[in-house]
Amino acid sequence: MSQNDSFLTGKMTRRDMLKLSAAAGAGAFLAACGAPAAPAKTADELLKSANTIPMATLLAEAKKEGTLTTIALPYDWANLGEIIETYKTKYSMKVNGLNPDAGSSDELEAIRTNKGNKGPTAPDVVDIGIGYTESSKKEGLFSPYKVATWDTISLKDPDGYWYAEYYGVLGFQVSKAQIKNIPADWSDLLKPEYKNQVALAGDVLKSNEAVMAVWAAGMSKTGKADQAAAEEGLKFFAELKKNGNFTPVIATSGTTAKGETPIALTWDYLGLANRDTLKGNPDVAVVVPKTGLIAGPYAGAISAYAPHPFAARLWAEHIMSDEGQLMYLKGYAHPIRYNDLVAKNKVPADLAAKLPPAESYKVAIFPTLENLTASKKYITENWRKVVLGE
Amino acid sequence: MSQTPSVKLGTGDAPLARPPSRKFSWDWLGLAPFFLFAIAFLLLPSASIVINSFKSPEGAFTFQNIIDVVARKDLRSAYQASLSISVITALGGGLFGFLLAYAVTLGGLPKRLRSYMLTFSGVASNFSGVPLAFAFIATIGNTGLITRAIEGISGVDIHQQGFTIYSIWGLSIVYMYFQFPLMVLIMAPALDGLRREWKEACENLGATSWQYWRYVALPILMPSLLGTMILLFGNAFGAYATAYAFAGSFINLVTIVIGGQIQGDVLFNPGLGNALALGMVVIMGLCMTGYSWLQRRAARWTR
Amino acid sequence: MRKSNIWAWIILIVGILYFFVPLVATLDFSLRAEKDVYPSFEAFRTVFSDPEFYKNFSSSLGWSVLTIICSTLLIVPTTYWVHYRLPNWRPAVEFVTLMPFVVPAVVLTFGLIRLYCCDPLPLISSPILLVAGYMVLSFPYMFRAVDTGLRAIDVRTLTEAAQSLGAGWGTVLFRVIFPNLRVAILSGVFLTFAIVIGEFTFASLLNWPAFGPYMEYLGATRAYEPAALALISFLLTWGSTMLIQYIGRGRGVETQVAGTR
Repeated sequence: MSQNDSFLTGKMTRRDMLKLSAAAGAGAFLAACGAPAAPAKTADELLKSANTIPMATLLAEAKKEGTLTTIALPYDWANLGEIIETYKTKYSMKVNGLNPDAGSSDELEAIRTNKGNKGPTAPDVVDIGIGYTESSKKEGLFSPYKVATWDTISLKDPDGYWYAEYYGVLGFQVSKAQIKNIPADWSDLLKPEYKNQVALAGDVLKSNEAVMAVWAAGMSKTGKADQAAAEEGLKFFAELKKNGNFTPVIATSGTTAKGETPIALTWDYLGLANRDTLKGNPDVAVVVPKTGLIAGPYAGAISAYAPHPFAARLWAEHIMSDEGQLMYLKGYAHPIRYNDLVAKNKVPADLAAKLPPAESYKVAIFPTLENLTASKKYITENWRKVVLGE
Repeated sequence: MSQTPSVKLGTGDAPLARPPSRKFSWDWLGLAPFFLFAIAFLLLPSASIVINSFKSPEGAFTFQNIIDVVARKDLRSAYQASLSISVITALGGGLFGFLLAYAVTLGGLPKRLRSYMLTFSGVASNFSGVPLAFAFIATIGNTGLITRAIEGISGVDIHQQGFTIYSIWGLSIVYMYFQFPLMVLIMAPALDGLRREWKEACENLGATSWQYWRYVALPILMPSLLGTMILLFGNAFGAYATAYAFAGSFINLVTIVIGGQIQGDVLFNPGLGNALALGMVVIMGLCMTGYSWLQRRAARWTR
Repeated sequence: MRKSNIWAWIILIVGILYFFVPLVATLDFSLRAEKDVYPSFEAFRTVFSDPEFYKNFSSSLGWSVLTIICSTLLIVPTTYWVHYRLPNWRPAVEFVTLMPFVVPAVVLTFGLIRLYCCDPLPLISSPILLVAGYMVLSFPYMFRAVDTGLRAIDVRTLTEAAQSLGAGWGTVLFRVIFPNLRVAILSGVFLTFAIVIGEFTFASLLNWPAFGPYMEYLGATRAYEPAALALISFLLTWGSTMLIQYIGRGRGVETQVAGTR
């Protein structure tokens, strides 16, 4: 009774003090080891939230999966070969590469057809033209994830469903063996000396690259990346066809070497990579047009039905890391985090020298997503009517 | 006194040898594996074409696709283009293919040539897609072998003059590469079926070679000829890879439009793709019915 | 001794020109792989030293053998049964085998994939779907060849003779019917082989190693090698077909696929 009294009176005896501290200590001790401080997240929870997963956990989970299934990643497209091989060796993962020839729409189709299938034909990650991102997100094909370098990415979906990886600009790949006067701009292409020589690098109805080429031609007239440019672009190609300058052959390195497509409208990084592969046989120059310079970013996303979701997230971390982004640079493509890397002085000088001069890129226009989707729709729907006259 | 077995007497002179048997038999089971396979891997996917033709991009039931197929000008011209190239290559391929088959069977050429021609035809009839398209681009394209040869000889650049291979006629020339061999493969055995006795009988009666062909051989061969030409028609009608590899979607053919609709893009409207395919199935179904009827008439002579 | 017809020679030469000039053009291009060196076999060397070439070609060889075996085992007994017991079913069977002509392949492949991609029957990762697809593509040719062959032999007599000597169905089929149909089956086999080797859509959509997608991929990334590859594949397929014909020649008399008596 006397101990309790001391409590009521506020004065503590030494015994009280000892009891109090013992109780406090016991309480703290119990609190520390009885229940864990915060419950560790289960794998499902980690995947559901779009938050960055700590590298150690991510690596461990990905190694358990062991394989990553990719699609539409040709080895010589923007140095993807080295990027894939580094992923394999650095993280001891296997990579199952599906259909390297697939276009953006084929990749999305692959996700759709393999919804219930966890086998090797289901892609984990996709690499698609930026114009395909919004509709796919609405369709629920993607699973959100924000990589560690998320804040430094200048073009991305705010909820984490996709992120731009790299971009190039649309230029002219010119075969010097056949073309004496290299065209400097879109308007030059209409000149009669280029009869039967101008080709697209894809099918307008299926290829993002071809649609961007049409749009860029229009932008050269209007100066802006909008619907009016799409209309002008179609008119440009209608005129190109009327003059006889347009050849319907789809430009590949084979047709260029054969001489069927001496002027190919393609991404600068593909043209430069071709220049290297062809080794002067024939001699190819890549020219960036003075006006109508459109930047075409490609976006990465993780499939909502991915059989290896952790491996997919590891891949995302890999390509958006400094090391990964610099490997795109080696393939002549501009990594999306280029400015950030330059600011941090991470870009080696010899690598920067391999790109076309930076000034020519200053006038590059980055289209907004709404404009891109609308213009893509307009161009694909009216191509037959306006250009082919049907 | 011998026992005569009691025998049922019918209305005629002869006794009934045995009682009429029940008609039911399990024979149809022998065809079961085939039909099960066909249902699983051929009929069901094809049925899905019919069902999906009536689906809108949102998944609702609609007649819009069927209406579009008939009403839209660009789709009608796609059918027109496909039909014209099919007719051109069926007739041209049929004619020259028949001549080739004749040359190696009855033309008096060395026997070995026949076997080379038939094996080559087997391979050539499947040479299609990118390699075939490229081979012809390399031959009569802007910088093709023949183009350059003509330019070298006559100084005229046919492409500058406006000739272009990237048209229905140009594509027809390419299609012939697999049409001729198909005709050869099917007509060579039919030509073998022309019995020597018939030719000899004609000669005995004083007929000329021309009369033999006109009054005996061609009428017998005509059902096979027409039937195979229908096959060639179908072959060209359904061709996709070669046309696409040749000029992308520049030449407006039904198969190319279908490819664009089904493989998903802004144009992604699989219902329309299926409706277009349904249209193709109807056209081809009519052709195949004609083919079967002709085949049965041809069989008259080989029984 | 038939005298040679001049017209036959003319037709043959025109035919040979038409078929070989494009091949020559392809060859000409493929020999230009090295700058300023003509002819150069660099493109061929690259193809032959690519391990993917061997992997994909042997894969396709495997697929075609599988398809041929399964297709033959399905079509021959069926056609035989139709001829022997159920001639009224012949139009139905023929219609089914002609369907791959009627339904455009683009649509058929997508239909198959959509049907078997998911539950209840997810075959999409199994080789069954690929082989089944190839078998369907081979139906028109196999059926036609076997049907023509069966019409040339007297099925009823052969079967009844064999049965009267005590043969069971297996013996009848494999030791009596098949050998008599050897030439007919072979002609169907040629075409099936060529189809499977060059097939692209199905193999690429189902992601199996095969020659078609390999050719396509090479075409998209390299300049001279695709031309070399096209020629190599043509010659390989032709050579294999001639080999099949040589092996299946039979003893002595060259019989034909048609209904000659």
